[in-house]
Amino acid sequence: MKRDRLIRFFSALVMGLTITNCASTTAEQNTNNNAAENLPAQSGSAEQIVLAIGGESEEGYDPTLGWGRYGAPLFQSTLLKRDEDLNIVNDLATDYSISEDGKTWTVMIREDAVFSDGEPLTAADVAYTFNKAAESGGLTDVTQLESATAVDESTVELTLKQPQSTFVNRLITLGIVPEHAHGEDYARSPIGSGPYTLVQWDEGQQLIVEANPDYYGEAPGIERLVFLFVEEDGAFAAAKSGQAQVAAVPQSLAVQQIEGMTLRDVVSVDNRGLMFPYLPTNSKQTPDGDPIGNDVTADLAIRQAVNYAVDRQAMVDGILEGYGSPAYGPVSGLAWEEPKASIEDAQPEKAKEILSEDGWVDSDGDGIVEKDGMKAEFTILYKADDSIRQALALSTAEMLEPIGIQANVEGKSWDDIEPLMHSNVVVFGWGSHDQTEMYNLYHSQSAQGDYYNTGYYANSAIDSTLDLAMGAPSEAEAITYWKAAQWDGDQGVTTKGDAAWAWLVNLDHTYFVDDCLDVGQLQVEPHGHGWPITANIADWAWTCE
Amino acid sequence: MTLIAPTRPDSPPLKQQNNRRQQTLTAIAIGGIFLLAIIVSPWILGDSGLGTMLPERNQPPSWGHPFGTDWLGRDMLRRSLHGLSLSLRVGLLAASVSALIGTGLGLVAGTVGGWVDAVIIWVIDVFFSLPHLVLLILIAFAVGGGTKGVIIAVALTHWTSLARVIRAEALQVSSADYVQLSRRLGKPSLWIARHHMVPHIVPQLLVGLILLFPHAILHEAALSFIGIGLSPHLPAIGIILAESMRHLSTGYWWLGVMPGLLLLLSVKAFDWLGENVRSLLDPKTSQG
Repeated sequence: MKRDRLIRFFSALVMGLTITNCASTTAEQNTNNNAAENLPAQSGSAEQIVLAIGGESEEGYDPTLGWGRYGAPLFQSTLLKRDEDLNIVNDLATDYSISEDGKTWTVMIREDAVFSDGEPLTAADVAYTFNKAAESGGLTDVTQLESATAVDESTVELTLKQPQSTFVNRLITLGIVPEHAHGEDYARSPIGSGPYTLVQWDEGQQLIVEANPDYYGEAPGIERLVFLFVEEDGAFAAAKSGQAQVAAVPQSLAVQQIEGMTLRDVVSVDNRGLMFPYLPTNSKQTPDGDPIGNDVTADLAIRQAVNYAVDRQAMVDGILEGYGSPAYGPVSGLAWEEPKASIEDAQPEKAKEILSEDGWVDSDGDGIVEKDGMKAEFTILYKADDSIRQALALSTAEMLEPIGIQANVEGKSWDDIEPLMHSNVVVFGWGSHDQTEMYNLYHSQSAQGDYYNTGYYANSAIDSTLDLAMGAPSEAEAITYWKAAQWDGDQGVTTKGDAAWAWLVNLDHTYFVDDCLDVGQLQVEPHGHGWPITANIADWAWTCE
Repeated sequence: MTLIAPTRPDSPPLKQQNNRRQQTLTAIAIGGIFLLAIIVSPWILGDSGLGTMLPERNQPPSWGHPFGTDWLGRDMLRRSLHGLSLSLRVGLLAASVSALIGTGLGLVAGTVGGWVDAVIIWVIDVFFSLPHLVLLILIAFAVGGGTKGVIIAVALTHWTSLARVIRAEALQVSSADYVQLSRRLGKPSLWIARHHMVPHIVPQLLVGLILLFPHAILHEAALSFIGIGLSPHLPAIGIILAESMRHLSTGYWWLGVMPGLLLLLSVKAFDWLGENVRSLLDPKTSQG
């Protein structure tokens, strides 16, 4: 943080000079020079590369507490993993089978895996990890696990309370920790069997990792990685001055050119959308006593009209500079997306028609439609320091004006949004390779006053479809139900059905990557916590001498 | 053939240059009109141009958009004027409240004297000993942030120097010979205050008020720069400047330079106005 602050301070100073001098070009050079003076210039090599991709895990690197829940724990390895096409392949596991009733998962693990402290990784460690994660109830969500037991050295049996088709995702994301070395300070000095081991972590500044010589897989192509924790414009400056070989930048900066670097835009399911309160105003209260519901958005016509009126492609082009795609549902681009749920948007005429058919008309001529004396007016809340959410909220409001819906826009911090998020429209972002998220967003049981199903959406038909999907014996069989929950020709959570959300865009993650660095084929990335780009980091190679 | 500018040696001397009083008045008028224009500009311009126009984003200054457009295609001139108008109105309100507090306390301290004077001086010293910006942030935060927080914070922290000046003036006047004489002649205190004090204090108050403005405006800008409670899409001058910081590395210079210049100009205009009003009202310079 120190360096970051320094850069900000200098920028502020330079800003002051700019105002008096009116000389912009010097300002730009000064910022870069300042950044350069603070850091010795480093160029990448097969020995070391610097990554400015954010994603510092403030709570540390313990998988049982949530580290790696969006994939790629880096220090630990997982039983299974997803390849670049998101197919499930073996990692630590050599094979696995599921019992007839779907409650018992038997996993065979490889015998050559060792932790970075030299101890072998056994079934006992796997069992310990799953039990520990279930016990700590962290963000990894293994609540369905009854118990995990090691049958022998290389076989582990996981027993579930109920069949759960998404449980395979726990096998994909939960990094295995060593039973003998898992204690209080594990999160700060993780020991694992992953491709890299932690060398040094300066909180808020940088994290240095080195290739694990005992890694059972192919040896990583880069010996040493330095993760630099700077904000997005800092990452851009670092890349521009040649100090970082991989830099994650916001889409607005992706249009810039950096000599010697190429822009990689990686498709992701990192989506943004508007969540609508589903119930009428003050129908009930959350456990914390916050109000639930909004009379305007409880009306299906309003929710559908918003979905049809917004021009998603214009948002992609204008806000994301083309680095993204329109989103019509929560799981764009994944195997369980229902393509029939897509709609033709940017149709203000159709939106008006939907409104007037339902009785929303502008009777007093103020440009806002009314129904039963109630104006079609609501507030869109967005996280104040997120410029993309701000832009989405503002342009949505702009696009709703012509159809007679008045959307007021307010930026607040999460702390201030939380009490209001069950009774106002909120710009949220989700996106995961795990279908559990879709279950949590739409199932009536997951509305418990926190971030899952904030709108208290409830449709018993959808609930039972989601339950069927969750209870299906395998992911492949569950997919039919996941698709049906989105839109089955009759019902669904997307626009043609209940239109519980107005999904807007999927973000591409944009990285500047050094021309000498070969990062291989990157997979469709989940929501941006952690380091999704490092999923295949062991395959990266330095191609220059 | 050479061209020689026609000379008219017998032309009458140019019109007598305006005397200094007229110059001063002109300066006051220009400064006043400039600032007034900024304050009322949002009502003249309306809300057009404040909305997002995505296809027109990040355009450098041109005739259509003299200040360019920002990352959402909003016209920067209109945003800057809206923001500055808000700043000036906040400044006006805050400076007036400050002047009221300052005059009240200053007069009481100067005329009553004794322990009341001591207490007021002590309060002023306490205010002076605290870093100004820290105090502002504390107050703005305590009352819940937002525009209201900014106004209250700025209003409550700017009266101290004015109170000191007024107190000194009141002390000086009340010990003057003619005031003493009035008292001996049995004039009531109110009569003395109205006929002897007010004429001396009003000019001080007026100049003090005007010179409080730039302070108040800059502090309003500083508070909104930090972003206390204001939504970041609202056009406040501090927010606009804070936002421009993010675009420094991309070369969109107009986002920071143009609103910055406008802020500088209006602060300078107040300074100018204050100086000229002072020279007009101060007995030492008003006849010059």
